[in-house]
Amino acid sequence: MNKDTLRGKVAIVGIGQSPVGKVPGRSPLWLAADAAKKAVADAGIDKSQIDGVLSSHAMASPFHRFSVAFSEYFGIQPTFSNNLQVSGATAATMFNIGASAICSGLAEVVLVVAADSLMTGLTPDLALRSLTESRDQQYEMPFGIPVANTFAMTAHRHMKEFGTTPEQLAKVAVTQRRHASLTRGAQQTTPITVDDVLNSGMVTTPYHKLDCSLISDGGAAFILMSAERAKTLGIEKPVYILGGGECYTHEHIFLMPSLTVTGAVESSRRAYKMAGYAPDDMHVAGVYDCFTGTVIMMLEDLGFCPKGEGGRFVADGQMTYGGKIPSNTHGGLLSFAHSGIPGSLFHFHEVVAQLRGDCGPRQVEGAKLGLVHSLGAGFATNATTVLGTEDTL
Amino acid sequence: MISAEEAARKPLPTPDADTAAFWRGLRDGQLLLQHCVACGNVQYYQQATCRACGREELEHRPASGRGKVHSFSVVHRAPGPAFKADLPYAVLLVELEEGPRMISTYTGGPPDEVTFDMPVELALEKVTDEVTLPRFRNI
Repeated sequence: MNKDTLRGKVAIVGIGQSPVGKVPGRSPLWLAADAAKKAVADAGIDKSQIDGVLSSHAMASPFHRFSVAFSEYFGIQPTFSNNLQVSGATAATMFNIGASAICSGLAEVVLVVAADSLMTGLTPDLALRSLTESRDQQYEMPFGIPVANTFAMTAHRHMKEFGTTPEQLAKVAVTQRRHASLTRGAQQTTPITVDDVLNSGMVTTPYHKLDCSLISDGGAAFILMSAERAKTLGIEKPVYILGGGECYTHEHIFLMPSLTVTGAVESSRRAYKMAGYAPDDMHVAGVYDCFTGTVIMMLEDLGFCPKGEGGRFVADGQMTYGGKIPSNTHGGLLSFAHSGIPGSLFHFHEVVAQLRGDCGPRQVEGAKLGLVHSLGAGFATNATTVLGTEDTL
Repeated sequence: MISAEEAARKPLPTPDADTAAFWRGLRDGQLLLQHCVACGNVQYYQQATCRACGREELEHRPASGRGKVHSFSVVHRAPGPAFKADLPYAVLLVELEEGPRMISTYTGGPPDEVTFDMPVELALEKVTDEVTLPRFRNI
């Protein structure tokens, strides 16, 4: 293990979430500030102690420099700030960069915060169209490819190569809905069955409506500081960043090296290596779940089951309580909320809460090591973070 | 953020310095691939340098137009109002005989006849005087 890495040097000491789902009359800046206020209170610090702010663009906000606009709105003047953008993978990269900034002396207390208002600020139609705009203007968009398309084609090929079934895909949605039913404030909490998913109307094969994630309002925020500082301040139950890894394999789906093996293999390998732990050591996971098939492919690429067996793994109950790796215990993007870039921050919020033992009825007993994997742009961007309690240092 | 008016129109490509030859080729009835004279790499999409070796000795050569469906997805819910009238349609990831893959859509038959590894051939569709889209049909 390389002693010069950021392993164990930075702690997450505060977490906060705004209301999620349909939150009318609230701007992305308000949602971000609400989450940040809660994270600051949770850490027990004063907002004036924040000297670093990492955020990302909000589609429903007119501000091009969201992290800067946010700081003004929140009443702070940081000396380190940026807006990160690698689509859905942004969340995990914020922790990598925030931790790096703390380790290198660029900042002492970093606020990671993102929020958007896709449901009410933008409306679902414009949100989907704006997301489609992120595809290539010349080689993809003229063909009318929906946001779901790149993910649909990868899952479809996975079904062809490994025999993954629509029922197995649906099981992901069913499992996560059950998780969300135990999560206060989740956007969708009504239990569903495999048949409900299969009968929910086709969006783009193989994905039905209930195979697709939600469109939501909401934001989340985190306070990061050095492990030493957390100790000095007497922070209770700090959660440590043990490892981070990223991988960017392509921009266009047609240049993706393989449709069924993704950059998550490399990003997670790097994160596990830095952390000094293996997939089998993880107790809980937040696995990016923009679509059901995405989860199945990620459970394989993150090393929780062999390639091609993700469908059976999920159908056997291995991604829920009592299984090999309880995943997306808050309900994930499929049932808790998906407000774009902030979506994967909700996974971080949940995994940190799990490692603190604060999850009440959905607590994974004895959870000490957790993984969050963020990805985006049809698997073009991948970032993995391994988190742990004090016992795991 | 895009306006509702913009969302109602189908997006058309705006060629740039790197890609003008590609779209001109389609207008003239050919799907052009770039062949690197230095290292032999064949690439799609068009750019000024070879993605494998970085050299600029690239030649445009017409593709055979034949390939097979590596993956596909039949769209039942349009990505915006502009595509609603086309539903359902099959988006294809075509693997060309020369190696590169490209995104396209299926034409010349119902989308439910598309299968994995099905052989397809180029079917040019003139959209405007400037733009011809490369689509694919069953052989």
